[in-house]
Amino acid sequence: MQDKKAVKQKFALVTGGSRGIGRAICIQLAKDSEYNILINYYSNKTAAKETLKSVEEAGGHGELMPFNVTDAENVKSTLDTWHEANPNAIIEVIVNNAGITQDGMFMWMKAEDWSKVIDTSLNGFFNVTNHLIQKLLVNKYGRIINMVSVSGLKGTPGQTNYSAAKGAVIGATKALAQEVAKRNVTVNAVAPGFISTDMTQDLDEKELKKMIPANRFGTAEEVAHLVSFLASEKSGYITGDIININGGIYS
Amino acid sequence: MTKENIVEKVDEFLIDDFEVAEEALVPDANLKDALDLDSLDFVDLVVAVESNFGVKLTGEDFVNIHTLQNFYDLIERKLA
Repeated sequence: MQDKKAVKQKFALVTGGSRGIGRAICIQLAKDSEYNILINYYSNKTAAKETLKSVEEAGGHGELMPFNVTDAENVKSTLDTWHEANPNAIIEVIVNNAGITQDGMFMWMKAEDWSKVIDTSLNGFFNVTNHLIQKLLVNKYGRIINMVSVSGLKGTPGQTNYSAAKGAVIGATKALAQEVAKRNVTVNAVAPGFISTDMTQDLDEKELKKMIPANRFGTAEEVAHLVSFLASEKSGYITGDIININGGIYS
Repeated sequence: MTKENIVEKVDEFLIDDFEVAEEALVPDANLKDALDLDSLDFVDLVVAVESNFGVKLTGEDFVNIHTLQNFYDLIERKLA
């Protein structure tokens, strides 16, 4: 039989944790929780290292975990190797944050730009979550938080691919939440509006903020506070929900 | 491992870990209804089988498993 008495080391995995909202989430979880932070990144090791440094400065522990969320085999082998090396570890919190944009008018959109965006957000969610969920169900506790977007709810012109990908993850969030609720595993999505990050740096903030009731872009830290709450035990009765954080732009 | 050993071990963890009543453990008992295992409990069955018998079951293995007898037979096949 398994040794049920062995104290499990608890981890939170944040995909796309090297920059922007993902980085802010890693740091906030380090501040607010006891979780060790697994900082996933794909290409930007320098940025991921900076996130790790900030996690440690916040008094937390973390480690880098590079893999490409779109590559199911890569995800599987990385996580399996890690689990073998850490037999007493459990990834209790999964923040599916990795995402990209390839904006353009639908009329001119290349199939490649459509697929890439869907691959990262939607298939990335599947690859990571599907591989880890069995352990959460056996653990009888878990928190899955999917970073979506206001685009997935209201649709954003120029972002049919991104809107489709995020909308699909919203559907999956609702369905999966009902499948696993009995096991104390909650599944929620967070839908930010305009947040100041690398992803939005090319946008005309001055012009765009006029249509935001709060009259400003949000910060990655504000989003991270919400994610940190959803990742905590306190949020246990919230599941299958999509929580907006957008300064009033859409509800 | 003999068939009797398998039955004995399975019955043991069903009683101890799954809170199934001993008298409910008859070969033609339906796993889902008679033993009151919901679909998520199958996750624990997979873990229990792995730790007791050292074999890994997948979702596909359960496709034609309805009764307790089917379940004993499945483990016997896997161990063969």
